This record gives sequence, C-alpha cells and structure tokens, in this order.
Amino acid sequence: MNPSPLSIHRWTPLSVASVAAVVGAQLLLVAVPLVFGANVVERLTTLCIYGILALMWNSLAGYGGLISVGQQAFFGLGAYAAIRLADAGFPVYPALALGALLVAVAALPMAQAMLRLKGGEFAIGMWVVAEFVHLLVNLDPLIQGETGTSLIALNSFDAEARRSYTYWAALASMAALAWGMFFLLRGRLGTAAQAIRDNEEAAASVGVRVFAAKRTLFLLSAFGCALAGALWVATTISFQPKTYFSVQWSAYMIFMVLVGGIGTFEGPILGAVLFFAVETAFGATGVWYMIGLGATALLFAMLLPQGLWGAIEKRFGLRLLPVGYFLK
Amino acid sequence: MQEANATHAVDSTGEGPSRREFIRAAGAAGLALALPGGSLWAQGADPKNTLRIGFISPRTGPLASFGETDPHVLTLVRKALASGLSSGGRQYAVQIIDRDTQSDPSRASQLAKSLINEEKVDLMLAISTPEVVNPVSDACEAAGVPCLSSVMPWEAWYFGRGAKPGAPSPYKWSFHFSFGVGSFVRAYTAQWNLIPTNRKVGVLYPNDADGNAIRANLAPELAKAGFTIVDPGPYENGTTDYTAQIARFKAEKCEIFNTFPIPPDFATFWRQAAQQGYTKTVKIAQLAKTGLFPSTMEALGNLGFNLAGGAYWHKHFPYTSPLTGLSGVALADGYEAASGKQWTQQLGATMALLDAGFAALKTTADPKNKAGLAKTLGTLNTDTMAGKVDFTKGPVPNVAVTPIIGAQWVKAKPGAKHKLDFVITSNADDAKVPVGAKLISYS
Repeated sequence: MNPSPLSIHRWTPLSVASVAAVVGAQLLLVAVPLVFGANVVERLTTLCIYGILALMWNSLAGYGGLISVGQQAFFGLGAYAAIRLADAGFPVYPALALGALLVAVAALPMAQAMLRLKGGEFAIGMWVVAEFVHLLVNLDPLIQGETGTSLIALNSFDAEARRSYTYWAALASMAALAWGMFFLLRGRLGTAAQAIRDNEEAAASVGVRVFAAKRTLFLLSAFGCALAGALWVATTISFQPKTYFSVQWSAYMIFMVLVGGIGTFEGPILGAVLFFAVETAFGATGVWYMIGLGATALLFAMLLPQGLWGAIEKRFGLRLLPVGYFLK
Repeated sequence: MQEANATHAVDSTGEGPSRREFIRAAGAAGLALALPGGSLWAQGADPKNTLRIGFISPRTGPLASFGETDPHVLTLVRKALASGLSSGGRQYAVQIIDRDTQSDPSRASQLAKSLINEEKVDLMLAISTPEVVNPVSDACEAAGVPCLSSVMPWEAWYFGRGAKPGAPSPYKWSFHFSFGVGSFVRAYTAQWNLIPTNRKVGVLYPNDADGNAIRANLAPELAKAGFTIVDPGPYENGTTDYTAQIARFKAEKCEIFNTFPIPPDFATFWRQAAQQGYTKTVKIAQLAKTGLFPSTMEALGNLGFNLAGGAYWHKHFPYTSPLTGLSGVALADGYEAASGKQWTQQLGATMALLDAGFAALKTTADPKNKAGLAKTLGTLNTDTMAGKVDFTKGPVPNVAVTPIIGAQWVKAKPGAKHKLDFVITSNADDAKVPVGAKLISYS
C-alpha cells in the first residue's frame, strides 16, 4: 500500500451495527423450531436454501464474472450424492454435507476444463455439463431413469425431529457459506475476484492469478449448490432427476441475483426473500408465474442492472456488510 | 408483488422507476412474505368437527388429460357429502381441498406440504402418474399424515421410492392401490389369444423407468406364455426416426405390437410405421401409457381405429360408487352431459380413490386420529367404483393391486356423438367385468 493523504476504511458505525444485528438475527433464527409451528419452520428451510443458491450464483457471476446456466448440475449431484451415501448406510444428516464435499471434489477436474471457456461459451458449456450429468445419473440402477427414488433413510426420524434438524442444517449451511464468503471476499480473493470481473486481461497483467481465483469461486459455488440440493432432497424426500437437473434452478438463481443486486453481498439475500415472497403469492398461477419471473428479471437487467440493493447502495452509500473499502 | 413492481417500471418510461417506488415495492414484498405467515394460524371454523381432505392431481401441463375430469368428480362427491360424514358415532363436516400440480413434481411436493401444514388435512389423496403420487406420498411420510393414492404402477410406487424386495415396508403413512406388471401379464395373454396370430410380438420399450421395468419383468412372462418377443432395444424418449425398429418388425413379421411410450412418441412411431408399411402386418397393436384417453386417440385420425389398450376403469364396470351411489354408466353419462366431452377411464379411477378414502374415514375409530387412520388404511377392504380394493392380501404391505382390462378403440357407430368408442374385449383380470365386443384385427 502506498502512503496517501486519504485514509482507508472498512468498518463504519452502521456496518458494525448491521453485522451485530445479523449475528443476533441468526442466533434468534436458531430458536425458531422451539417457538413456531411446522409451517414456519418448513418455509424458513426453503428460504434458507434459496438464500444459499442466490449467494452461490452471485459468488460466481457477481464476483468471478462467470455467468453459469448449469449450476443445477451441482444441485442435482448434491442430492444424488446424499441418496447414494444414505443408501450405502451412511448416517443421513452427515451424508448431506459429505455428499456436497464429494461433489466439490468432482467439480475440480470440471473446473480445469470449463474455466478455459469464456462468457457465453462458459454459460452454455455449463448447461451442457448439467444435461450430461443428468443422463449419467439416470443410468444408475438405484435411480431408475426419470422415475428416481426417495431418501427414505430419513423415515427413521419422527416428523418433528426431522423438520427441526433439516431446518438447522439449512440455517447452519447458509450462515456458514455466507460468513465463509464474507471472509474470503475481505481477503486476497475478494480483491482478485473484483479485478477479474472488471477486466480479466488487465487483472492478469498486474499479477492476479486469474485461473486460481476463478477456480476457488467455481469450487465454492459447486459445493454450495450441492449442499442446497442435498438439503432440498432432505425436505422433499423425492428425487426425480428431471426436477433436480432442471434449468429452472438456474433461472431462479439468476432472478434472485439480478433483482436483489448482482455483485453486492447483501443483494442476493434480499433477492432470495423477494423470490420466496413472489413464489408464495403467484406460484399457483402456473405458466404466468414463470412468464412474470422472466419478465421481471429482464426488466431489472435492462432498467436497473445493479438490482435493488445495488440501487439502494448507490443512492444512500449504504454498506451493511463490509466486504469492500472506501476512502475518506 | 413483483408484477406490480414491473408495471411501475413500464409506466415511468424514460426516467426509470424512482427509488421510492422500489423501496415501496420491497416493503410490499416483505408484507407478502408476512401475509401467508399470518394465515398459518388461521383455522377452519370448527376444526374439531370438520374433516379436511387434501386432493392432489395434475390438471394443467403435459399430464392435464389425467386431471381433466377431476372437477366433475369432486363436484359429485362434495354434493354427496354436503350433509357431512358420520364416523365413530359423530357427525363431521367434510372439506375437500383440491390442488393442481401443474404436472411438476416439485410443485406436487410443495402443495402436499402446504396442505399438511397450513390446511391441516386429516387425509391426503393423490392420483395419476409417479410425477404426482411419489412426491405427495413422500411428503406425507415425512410429516406423518395418512396418504392414499392410485393410478400408477404399484412397483414404481413401492420399489421406486427405495423399498427393497424382501425387507419390511419402510412406509408407515402412505398407501397405494393400482395395477402392476402382473395385471398387464394377465390382460395381455388373454387379449392376444383372442385372434389367431403368429404369436410374434414386436416390442418398443423406451429407455426410461417404465420401459426398463417392463422389459425386465413383463417380457419374460410373455415369453413363458408362448409369445416370441422381438425387441430392437431401448430407444430414447423424443426419438423422431424409427426406421430401424420398423424394418426389424417388418423383417420378423411381428403380427402383435406392444409399446409403453410417452404419447407424442407413439404418434410419431405409428405414422412412420404406416408410411413404411408395417401397420399392414399388425393384427393386434397393444398400447399402454398412451391410448388411455379419447383425445389422444382422436389426434391419430384413421390410424387410431382398432388400436388396443388397457383400462383401469370402464363405464361398463359392474360396480357402483358407495360414496355417490352412481353406476359406471351414470357417472360417464353425467360427465358427458355436463362437459360436452367424451367420458374417460379416469372418471372411475378418481371416484374409486375418493370411495376408498372415505370408506377408511368412515370405518376408522376416530377419523381425527392420524395413526389410527393409517392403521385402518393398511387393512382397508372395501368396494369402490372400480371394484374391490383390498389391502389385506397385497403382494407387499401398503399396496393393493387392482386389475387391467383389455379394451379396444373402435370406430363409433354412425350417428354417435364421438368419433371413437372404447369397448371391452377381454376380462382376464376381473371376470365380473362384462366383455362388450370381439377384438377386431388391426389390419
């Protein structure tokens, strides 16, 4: 760092307060199953999973500049890995996390190949990967093609215990991934990632290890999406490959991130809450709901490319969670 | 909320939406989030004296033809239960809450959860295809709510959800009655012995769960019954060129043809088979999974006449619905009069599910006791619109097997309202069902 008349700040009183509030809120959320009924717990579980997906897509697109429409590959693989491990007799809740870890390991060779592609090629390439992985999973005799199977290992828990465990697992996963990303982005990787997003060649020319940074984000995103898939199968039990490897998951992630605010830390979480609300309100309208989602994402991309949080941030200079620096 | 937001964005063209509007939209969205939360605690007027039944089926999307007739059946049942249901010495009001899965398994699962958690249903009913029945059954298993389902092969329901052959049943809350591979074996061997053929069967089974299960389980049984199976191997759903398969069937002179395709694939295959001259050789064309409903058959035009199919219900089944007191013919005629459309076999299947569900509610000691109701379902032995449903002697626990009847689509008599008539040609799986017509050779 060069000496400068300007001083560099990271924390503001507001961000200190908001980080404290977030920590407090997360601790309060832990107590939800003790206070509220089944419906609130299950809905919050879904919201946590959406939150994970939004965070993970944003980590790729918002920070790594890697637009992927194939993250459902990891989502489906995470669910599949959990089912395979549970079928092999592995305790089912640890299987969710271990499965996601195995998917991240499998994503390593994938990263070596896919990260050589750029822009649109990468996006479509990831979709192809997702379709390919889908077909491979269909070949497994345990899955029986599109009929799929169910995570019946969870039947050994009674309804209430399983609901609470799954909720805690989802909450812990979202919090861990969000904090993990928070600290990663505050470190060397955050700086590198933003340099890459703004201009890859320029970043490389000043010594940023472009490939390594991208690979870290790719693996993080693969792990997070796989964990979301594993948690999803724990909440729905049924695994039908077509629904897990469906491109609609990518559409949901894109919606959440674009509307919430791409490249901001808070935006995707806001997007996940919004998406959850929209789904609750309009999900029953079928095709029109999908058209509405698409149109909204389109309008946001055209009229408000930085998303809701981006706009709020720009207007008020708000930084609730300090992942960047500012000058005074 | 998002839609309102989008309109704002369009209205204020040129300048883009104001920040305030966005904040307002965000606030409104937050409210929307809170609203369903607020209604969670809302209950029916008198929850203790009301039985709430969830009913989930596919009404829109690719599986819509299954759910098309459900509103009619539900109207009849609601009318029959208008004065409530008496069970365990008490009178209950009945509320049936029906939901459409839009043919999407994730949505089926979400609907089941919301019916369980928000509507607090006492019994769940789910019908038609694994895409509906399996996720709903799983959701009920997870939440400890009794669930009864029908109309998908029981093997795909029981083993398809992870149960292992020989092991005790892993299901405590979900029960299913439907046809299975055995039903097809009985129906086909009877049907194919009706007219003289060279007993060579060309089979077109896709590379999906149904196709592979049928290849593994049905084909050997048919071979045992004296038929020669000619299998050109699995094909992928959505294939558009069947020249190789047709050439093989032609070369082997397969006079019987059997297939388990998704409906659009059959239309493609059968048109190509006609162009390439294979259909002239075929004496019996036996369809499953497609050819269930008149609408899909009419779409085939003249090629649809004399195709043979299977029926899980037919209006000439000699049973009445205990719930509504309707006979098969009365149910079918009532539907035709109300909708102006031709009756379908789904009418009776949906009615049978409701018959069985309410029989369990009636006979159980306390219909509000979920564990007790699940126990009653496990030993349920009752009459329905589609015949007997008996859970006491199933091949596996939680399952009752129902028949498949051989039938054929024939050209309707002149002056009839509809183009095609669906007639019963063999009854090996349920001898009480009257055979209505002789099987006609396709070519």
